Amino acid sequence: MADTHKQRFEKALRREPIVGHVPQFELVFFLTMEAFGKVHPSHRFYEQWNQMSHAEQKLHIEEMADIYIMTAKRYDHDAIFVHPNPGDLENTKWLLETIREKTGDEYFLMMHGDTTVSIPTGDDMIDFSVRMYEDPDSIHDQQKRWQEDAAKRAAALSGTGLLDGFALCSDYAFNVNPFFSPDIFAELVAPHLKECIDTYRSLGFYTIKHTDGNINPILDQIVDCGPDAVHSIDPQGHMNLLEVRKKYGDRICTIGNVNCGLLQTGTVEEAEADVRRCIREGMAEGYGFIFSTSNCAYTGLPLERYELMQKIWREEAIYR
Amino acid sequence: MSTTLAELSEFLQKGRVKNVKELVQKAIDEGISPNVILEEGLLSGMSVVGEKFKKNEVFVPEVLIAARAMNAGTTMLKPYLVQEGVESKGTVVIGTVKGDLHDIGKNIVKMMMEGKGLNVIDLGVDVSAEQYVQAAKENDADIIACSTLLTTTMGEIKNVVDLVKKEGIRAKVMIGGAPVTQDFCDSVNADSYTPDAATAADVALGFCS
Repeated sequence: MADTHKQRFEKALRREPIVGHVPQFELVFFLTMEAFGKVHPSHRFYEQWNQMSHAEQKLHIEEMADIYIMTAKRYDHDAIFVHPNPGDLENTKWLLETIREKTGDEYFLMMHGDTTVSIPTGDDMIDFSVRMYEDPDSIHDQQKRWQEDAAKRAAALSGTGLLDGFALCSDYAFNVNPFFSPDIFAELVAPHLKECIDTYRSLGFYTIKHTDGNINPILDQIVDCGPDAVHSIDPQGHMNLLEVRKKYGDRICTIGNVNCGLLQTGTVEEAEADVRRCIREGMAEGYGFIFSTSNCAYTGLPLERYELMQKIWREEAIYR
Repeated sequence: MSTTLAELSEFLQKGRVKNVKELVQKAIDEGISPNVILEEGLLSGMSVVGEKFKKNEVFVPEVLIAARAMNAGTTMLKPYLVQEGVESKGTVVIGTVKGDLHDIGKNIVKMMMEGKGLNVIDLGVDVSAEQYVQAAKENDADIIACSTLLTTTMGEIKNVVDLVKKEGIRAKVMIGGAPVTQDFCDSVNADSYTPDAATAADVALGFCS
C-alpha cells in the first residue's frame, strides 16, 4: 500500500529514502479566493463568534477545514499548516478534529508554535535593542512565559492524534544578516529555541524552524537546537540550498528555497529556471528535502506563477 | 582630536546615552565648537559603527543603540548648531512605498543617514508617489528614498521615479528593500540601489556633496 501524504512528509523530515514525488507544502496558501472563490481562514474576522449558534460555528469550522483540504488536494501538498481562527484551544481542536474526520490520517497537520523572540517591529526595535543590552532578563522572562503557555497547549494536544508538528516561525534575519549577532543569539535566543524544540519532541511532535533572511551566521546554532527541518533557506537572503544541504543535510531536512521574488516579478523563463535549480539542489545530497516557496503563497502572488511552479514539480521533482 | 571627543566617539559606538550626554556637555564647557563636537565626536563615532556594520562586525541592534545615543547628543547640540549657523549636509525624504506597511528597513536607513549628518524627513509607510514628490518640493530635498519589503509593491517605485521625472524636481531617487535588485533599479531608472543601510547612507551623502 502506498504511503499517505503524511507518511511521506514524515519520511522527508526524518531524511529517509522515498520514491515518487518530492514532498511539498506551503506555510500558507493565501490564494484561496482565486483558486476556490473562498476567503482564506486567516483573513476572516469572527467578531461575534461566541454569539453564534453552535450550528453556525460548525458551518464556519467545516468551511475552513474544507478550504485547507481543497488546497492540499489540488496542489498535492503533503502537509497542512492550520491557522486556527478563532485560535483558542477549544476551537483549535475542533478545527483539527474536523480536518481529521474528513481526511483521516492522510495529511501531516501542523500549526504555529514558536516561543522565541523574532525581529521586533519598527516601532519596538530600538526599545527592544536597548533591552537586549540593558535588561536581557526581561527578554528571557518573556520567552519563558511563552514557553510555559506553549507547553500547556502542546500537552493538551499531545496523544490526541490531531496534530503532528509545530512550525516555529519567528524570523531572525534580514536579507543582509541576522538581526541578532551570533553572540547575542547564543545568549538570548538559542537556549529558548532548544527548550521549545525539546518540549515539543518530548510530547511527540515534529518541529520545523522557519526564518527568512540570511541566517548563515547563526545556522550552526539553529541546527544545534535540533529542529527536524529548517524552512525557508531564503535565496533573497543569499542562502544557498546546496551548501546548506552539504553542510547540514545529515542533521536536518531542508524546506523551501524557490525564490519568491523571481516567482513574482521575474520572466517566465527566470521563474522556471529558478524552480528547476531549487529542485535540482534540493534533491542532491541525499533525501530530506521538502519543496516549497521561500516564504509562502502570499497575497498578491499571481496564481498562475504558483501553478507554473507546481507544474514543474509535478513533471520533474521525482525520486526514481 | 581632544580626549573628550575621542571618549565621546567611543561611548557613542557602545550606545551609552548617559555617557554621551555627559561628554557633549563637557565638550561644550571646554569651549569646543559645536560643529567640531558634531563632526569629530558624534558623526565620527557613527561612521565607525557604519563601517563595522558593513563588515558584519556589528549587527542592527548595535547600530540602533548607537543611533539612539547620537540622537541624544545631537538634541543637546542643536541649539548651539543653530546659533553657529551650521546646516545639515543634505535633506532626504524617506518612506515605505504605497501599499506596504513595513518600516523596519526604512527606519534603519533613516538612522544611518542621520548618522551621516543628513536631515531626514520620514513620511512613514504606505507613501504614494505624490506624497514623496510633494514633500521633496516642500523641503527642497536632495534625495527621495523609497523602501519596500513586498514583491507586490515594488512596482510602486516606478511610479515615484516617473513622477519625479515628470515634475522635473532635482531629487535623486534611491531605492532598497528585500526584493529590490540592481537590475530592478536599472529597469525603473532609479538613481541608486543599495543593498544595506550603511551603504545607503554613504551613497546619500555622496549625492549631497
